[in-house]
Amino acid sequence: MKTTKVSFQINNENVTLEVRPYETLLETLRERLVLTGAKEACGMGACGACTVIVNGIPLRSCLVLTPEVEGADITTIEGLRQNGNLHPLQEAFMEKGAVQCGFCTSGMIMTAKALLDRNKKPTKKEIVRTISSNICRCTGYKKIVEAVEEAARKTR
Amino acid sequence: MKDDLNIVGKRVVRSDSLAKVTGEARYTADLQFPNMLVAKVLRSPYPHARIVGIDVSGALKVPGVKAAISGFDSYGVKWGVFRYTQDHAMLHTDKVRYIGEDIAAVAAVDEETAIEALSQIKVDYEPLPAVYDPIESMKDGAPQIHDQYKNNINVHIHIDVGEVDKAMEKAFLVREDTFTAAGEAYAMMEPYAVVASYKNGYLDLYMPNAGPHVRAKALSNMLKLPLNRVRIRHINSGGAFGGRSEVAPGDLVASLLAIKSGRPVKLVLSREENATSSRQVHDIIATIKTGMKKDGTILAKDYKVIYDGGAYSSTGPIATSIPFYVYEECYRFPNVRYNGYRVFTNKGIRGMYGCHGRAFLAGNEAQMDVMAKELGLDPMDVRLKNGLRAGEVTATKSKITSCGLKETILAAAEKTNFKKRWAKPSKLKGVGMGCVAIMCGFPMGFRSGSSCYVKINDDGQVTLVTGLVDNGQGNESMVIQVASEVLGVPMRDINLVCADTEVTNLDPGAYSQAAAFVGANAVRVACENARKQVVSIAAEKLGVKEADIGLKDGAAYSMKDPDKKMPISWVVREAFFRGEPIVATGSFFPNIDFEREWVTRPWGQMAGTFSFGTSVAEIDIDAETGRITIPRFTSAHDCGRAINPMAVEGQMEGSIQQAGVAAITEGNLWDKGHLLNPDLLEYKVPLACDMPDMDTIIISSRDPAGPFGAKEGGLTVRMNAYSAVACALTNATGELFTELPLTPDKVMKILERKKGVK
Repeated sequence: MKTTKVSFQINNENVTLEVRPYETLLETLRERLVLTGAKEACGMGACGACTVIVNGIPLRSCLVLTPEVEGADITTIEGLRQNGNLHPLQEAFMEKGAVQCGFCTSGMIMTAKALLDRNKKPTKKEIVRTISSNICRCTGYKKIVEAVEEAARKTR
Repeated sequence: MKDDLNIVGKRVVRSDSLAKVTGEARYTADLQFPNMLVAKVLRSPYPHARIVGIDVSGALKVPGVKAAISGFDSYGVKWGVFRYTQDHAMLHTDKVRYIGEDIAAVAAVDEETAIEALSQIKVDYEPLPAVYDPIESMKDGAPQIHDQYKNNINVHIHIDVGEVDKAMEKAFLVREDTFTAAGEAYAMMEPYAVVASYKNGYLDLYMPNAGPHVRAKALSNMLKLPLNRVRIRHINSGGAFGGRSEVAPGDLVASLLAIKSGRPVKLVLSREENATSSRQVHDIIATIKTGMKKDGTILAKDYKVIYDGGAYSSTGPIATSIPFYVYEECYRFPNVRYNGYRVFTNKGIRGMYGCHGRAFLAGNEAQMDVMAKELGLDPMDVRLKNGLRAGEVTATKSKITSCGLKETILAAAEKTNFKKRWAKPSKLKGVGMGCVAIMCGFPMGFRSGSSCYVKINDDGQVTLVTGLVDNGQGNESMVIQVASEVLGVPMRDINLVCADTEVTNLDPGAYSQAAAFVGANAVRVACENARKQVVSIAAEKLGVKEADIGLKDGAAYSMKDPDKKMPISWVVREAFFRGEPIVATGSFFPNIDFEREWVTRPWGQMAGTFSFGTSVAEIDIDAETGRITIPRFTSAHDCGRAINPMAVEGQMEGSIQQAGVAAITEGNLWDKGHLLNPDLLEYKVPLACDMPDMDTIIISSRDPAGPFGAKEGGLTVRMNAYSAVACALTNATGELFTELPLTPDKVMKILERKKGVK
């Protein structure tokens, strides 16, 4: 089967891979790189559970083909810890009780991180609007919104 | 009840959350084993067809395919929760009964090969007439879906208490209405997945499940393997909501492929397969007749409820009963008749749902409001008047031992200024109240109780072993918190081994809302037994009386003279020296009448205790579009004592989303046997932007038998939130709903009916 070579940076490491031209970034992450924090919950970009950050933009990795990320800088949930310390969003999700089954959590945190990276002081409305791209079936979102607010306060 | 608690009752960080925020938590689809194969399932394109033949030999010729199976490779053992409902072989050889039914499967070295191999399987079908509507299905001459069920009636639950007909005659006001509701999708975020591995005669399985022990038993029957040879292992579960309670076709498929290939097999369903071919929720048609006295006292209820059961029995008798019971556990019905029919149709398999029964429950509550209005009464007062109290017995003879119903009604009403707002609703704005009670556990035979094993290790850390299951609601963290309270050891120093059939004891699982009342109780008892051993040695070593010993922060100390203390690890080492290590077991078996049977003897004590709850929804209706918005939602829940209030709030908030907001957005749509919205774009799970401002109120009633007074934590909201929305619609429009969900098209019909326009 014809493969194509692609190089990119992921969680501050350079990788070069031979992938099938139609392989999704989610498949590459989960199956080749064993980064299974990103989840497949719908496979059609509806739920956001597979969200990773590509060049600063939160993308649904199930809708991105791996050859498209040539040269990109990618961050996944596994790359959020800095020097062993949790990211303020990770801490806030724990402390505010924003995690239940956990299947949406990686995508939710990555979506929120991209928001905080571009907007240090988001209003509650902006947070709600942003995370409305992601589906959570367990929490009713209230504690997720509170966690993002708390993380924003801490990172300021 | 002891109230000076250190950990229980505190808003603690859940023990499982670190792994989940770092992406480290493993779910079934994340598992990778050496030589693992990928499985794919061939599914029926017909709603109803005779299978003339299945030939999988073509698939086996595809390079990379290691096994191919159909029902002819199984024993054809039919599964059902009860002996009289065993009708589901999971892989059938005679007929298919719904679109998406598992017919054959392959295991191959990769997904592409597996998909290619599916196309090489030949199945000869002889299509049969199909039926999709339960009313049509019950008629004489309708296509017969199973030979053994006449008129396609799977289950008939008949309950008759008092003298309903006489009471109706005596009633001042009698009203009969019919309500329908589309079944919902569980839409748990994790699509169904199973990993099976067969080595040395032992089958190891991983899958999201609500009860590993019942699952292992079912599979041991179907595979004709001894029970100890089927081991269900612990794995994180990405949500269940009732949809992971029963053995699934994928379990059999993956097991057969693993046995045949000798290699580990992973089957991951797509979102669409999860909807069409794992389990769905029953569509319901509820006819409710109520007789009331002039003062609002309910004299009689007469019910006929039809459940669209899809193709197989599943938890049939339970699903046909639960909506009735959660209602009779809430209100006093001196005379009541319930006829519940679960009817087969050529649609997907259906199971219990955390929000099960919305047509029935919302119908009852909304009708109560209309009747109250006609009698010039306030609906809150009517609920208080008819609500059960501690010490009372339900119509089917369950005693209520603790009850905070009244407190939940008053708290929710006060928070929302309910009485005033209900009496004078603004134009197209409404407020509505829904109440319900929930059994904490129900009869599951010898699996109704739970047992825990605890050991304290030589470093003072604790290992708990229990069959308890966590599907995301926080059960694991809950029992660690309970153990921490009893043993005085910090939560971080307690390891939990759970939900693994080889090492853990029987437990009801995350099913029947038993985890807090039953599972956590067993953990409490085990830890209390271990504590006695610790206290005995510590008292001797510190030279104080046993009654003077306290345990806190990993140390034993004299309460009178706190300077006298020693680490628990020293106590444990001393115990090892004596050849009597600190190990203990503990069990809890709830007070349930085990003569009770869902069909043949529907009376007797249903559960050890009951939780109670009240929700109040505030809605706005857009007159032009019929769109409902829900600006505010208030729920009050009597959970005995909240072990972790933050977790209980989370359950309540999630329930407001999954039952309350879902009442305006969620429902499966069908075109005959085709599910039209199996994905997450067309099936509308509420998003953050759809959510109301939420107030959650925890009412403490301190159940006498619950662990630290606890009962289940939040399910009442899951079964009263839609009622609150439906009642708010009635308050805003003066009209009863007829169909859920209350999507704009249905609301427009109600507004037009109100205007008198046809």
